[in-house]
Amino acid sequence: MKLRFKVNGTPTEVKAQADEMLLEVLRRDLGLRSVRATCGIGICGACTALVNDEPISTCIFLAPLAEGCEITTVEGLGGDHPVQQAFEEEHAFQCGYCTPGMILTIKQFLEENPRPSDEEIRVALGGNLCRCGCYVKIINAVKRAAATEYISSQS
Amino acid sequence: MSNPRVTGAIRYAQDVEFEGMLYASILRSPHPHARILRVDASAVPDSVVVLTPDDIRELGMYGCQIKDQAVLAADRARFAGDPVAAVAAPSRREAEEAIDLIDVEYEELTGVYDAVEAVSQGAPLVHEHHYISDNDAAYFGMRPQEGTNICHRFRIRHGDVDEGFKHADVIIEETFRTAGAQHAPMEPHASVARWEGGRLEIWTGTQTLFNLRMDLAGIFNIPENQIRIIPPPMGGAFGAKTFVRYEAIVACLARKAGRPVKIVLSRYEEWLTLNRHPATLRVKLGARSDGALVSKQVECWVDTGAYADCGPGVAQKMGYAAVGPYRIPHVRVDSHCIYTNLPPNGAFRGFGAMQAVWASERAMDMLAAKLGMDPLELRLKNVLVDGDHFCTGELMHDVHFIECLKAVANKIGWADNRQGKGLCVLMKGMQTPSRASIAVEANEDGTYTVRCATAEMGQGAWRSMRLMAAELLDVEPERVFFPEPDTDIVPYDTRTTSSRSTYMMGRALVEAVRDLKQRGELGYGECVNKGGLDPDTGQGIASTHWHQGTAAAEVRVDEETGRFQVVKLHSAIYAGRVINRSGAELQNEGSMIMGLGTALFEGITFAEGQPTNANLSDYNIPAAGDLPLAFSHDLVEREGAEVHGLGETALPPIPPVIGNALYSLGIHVIDLPMSAEAVLNAIDRRQQRQGMDAGEEVDRNKSREGRLEAERRPYIPEAKGSQG
Repeated sequence: MKLRFKVNGTPTEVKAQADEMLLEVLRRDLGLRSVRATCGIGICGACTALVNDEPISTCIFLAPLAEGCEITTVEGLGGDHPVQQAFEEEHAFQCGYCTPGMILTIKQFLEENPRPSDEEIRVALGGNLCRCGCYVKIINAVKRAAATEYISSQS
Repeated sequence: MSNPRVTGAIRYAQDVEFEGMLYASILRSPHPHARILRVDASAVPDSVVVLTPDDIRELGMYGCQIKDQAVLAADRARFAGDPVAAVAAPSRREAEEAIDLIDVEYEELTGVYDAVEAVSQGAPLVHEHHYISDNDAAYFGMRPQEGTNICHRFRIRHGDVDEGFKHADVIIEETFRTAGAQHAPMEPHASVARWEGGRLEIWTGTQTLFNLRMDLAGIFNIPENQIRIIPPPMGGAFGAKTFVRYEAIVACLARKAGRPVKIVLSRYEEWLTLNRHPATLRVKLGARSDGALVSKQVECWVDTGAYADCGPGVAQKMGYAAVGPYRIPHVRVDSHCIYTNLPPNGAFRGFGAMQAVWASERAMDMLAAKLGMDPLELRLKNVLVDGDHFCTGELMHDVHFIECLKAVANKIGWADNRQGKGLCVLMKGMQTPSRASIAVEANEDGTYTVRCATAEMGQGAWRSMRLMAAELLDVEPERVFFPEPDTDIVPYDTRTTSSRSTYMMGRALVEAVRDLKQRGELGYGECVNKGGLDPDTGQGIASTHWHQGTAAAEVRVDEETGRFQVVKLHSAIYAGRVINRSGAELQNEGSMIMGLGTALFEGITFAEGQPTNANLSDYNIPAAGDLPLAFSHDLVEREGAEVHGLGETALPPIPPVIGNALYSLGIHVIDLPMSAEAVLNAIDRRQQRQGMDAGEEVDRNKSREGRLEAERRPYIPEAKGSQG
């Protein structure tokens, strides 16, 4: 079947099977390799993309459900988004495999909650696992990004 | 912004693609132990390439320490998940569908799923006979015990333990167990193989490119220089991406197909690929009334699963790590690496030390309690210092246990109050013997190119190498280029394991830069550490470089439910000189967090050889919310000191500090992981010990205790054939 959606701002049309997950389509057909398969059951968050500004585990999200949606991956952030900058400055990654999913989750979280408490940050990261165990620096990166107050300055 | 990890531009092995590439899928035995009578792939469509046992019978066996594995389980499947056939198809979906069209006839055999049972009378043999070793990863003599499931036996004989125990005023004895664990790197195993004019090229996430190349040369009976291994950066490895995993299968499929073939494992398959060794350790430890250790006896039963992999090395390291960093006049260790019908167990961050330190450091606190002594004092009194000899006979140098112990004790407020607190000190060896080599080229534009085999799996090794090279060459790090490793362009290195790269490759780099300065255009450097242990006596040099660390924890327990919270966790790891500060911090923090998982909830469960929690929902790994609120660490540095490897040291002490913190409250947990249920059972046992009285309460405890006893092994038999 044919699917139409916007990916990182660009109107896109792809062919997909009705029972395929969005992850497959993003990686294979659109070459968006920052979206990564890990657990396959929506637990770990490595396959996170923003679908209409909601962090979604694309490994369990049927591709046809994205019809007409706006999809954002880390490729769409350009590289100098404040959350990306905060990750780099805090060295909040080791292997980098979970990092794009983390960044998208945090981006959305901070837009909804620009001044989070430590506890709120830990809860917000519950759906993004990092086996390298970079959580201390990831939490620091969230705080750093929040401290830049980029959200209020953008609005 | 250029960091490819932050922009998502980094490419892992799973991202490698070629024109006309096929996708592989593997048919695995559903039975943990079965004879394979017939494999019928006639229903598979012609568009799909099939690999069956008949295709691999002419190929060599492989195995990094013992050559006990064939490319496919040809006649006998030895674990539930053993590859029996494989296919390559134009799409992943077609490959998965083709697998279902292969018909296999099995004859089920009795299996054995516990290392202690596997050495008892009448246990089924996982392998009918033992195999040879000829990979350079087999760095010591194997001691397989014929007619048993023991593929290696390691011993330490130092002094006379029986005589030693006669002079001990206090003796404790306990049996500890640790569960199997999954590395669970976020990126699953992925490999792509292609043949170019008789030459095999493989892109694969591997920490061991040269060991892998050597085993593949043996499988295909071609010279090593006809094989090229290229490891892209890995999305985590932790020991899982070592030696031959699926590279041989994709290489066979690619040869048959005449096209490149790729495999990416499903998460479930990770549990069927490589796990951490479950182990049982029995410790007997004696001291004089003043706390001076006199005698220690350790027995280890190390479950290596269906194939040895590097289990013999794990058993050996577990054996000497279980002695601990102490002066003990009499030591006897017997460590057995044992086949069972479980998926293979192999290298895992901590490499045998985790299991050993759990048993050894819990035993120290048991001894301290029996002596009525402060566990810190007991350690300070016995811990090795510069100039001491370890039980292997080797002279200790650059030793920092006392300062690390004092640092953690201070941080946790040990002197104020010891209730609910625990300590641990450990030493972990580095791969000995080994060799690292590196080449540095001066380019015409004033930049430098550094070539070495050190693999990047997230540990930051490439950044560390670049920083070290820049410092030695006196240029900005941006002027140092570091091409990704490729066996065609990098000189030999033993492997990227055992936290050895910054230290060993760093020393080789010093030589290479010195050579470059003399010769002008090209410098070559090598660092060799010689040594090794006699497997029959444990005498020799276990490690030329010791990873040294300590940790401390504080817990709060809900005695009604057994739930407990780690409220403080701190480690102090000897770092010497720090090269890459954020990288060093991340290694410590990451090791501690992985250690928390091991301590609290990570354990693979099997039912008759079938894994029952092989997914990231039933098998939990630590999330951000699992961090203790007070979570910190020290990198213990000394000016002018040597660089020390930091990749693993902070993992092994985490389970025992939590176990010892519980023990300070009378809660004696001996098995990992420490679930709330295990803690509640231990609380019940404490109540019974304290004679907390009558009635219903005791009945409830008794029935729970009875069930617990039934679940535990009633006895631990001697391994047959292990004498002499």
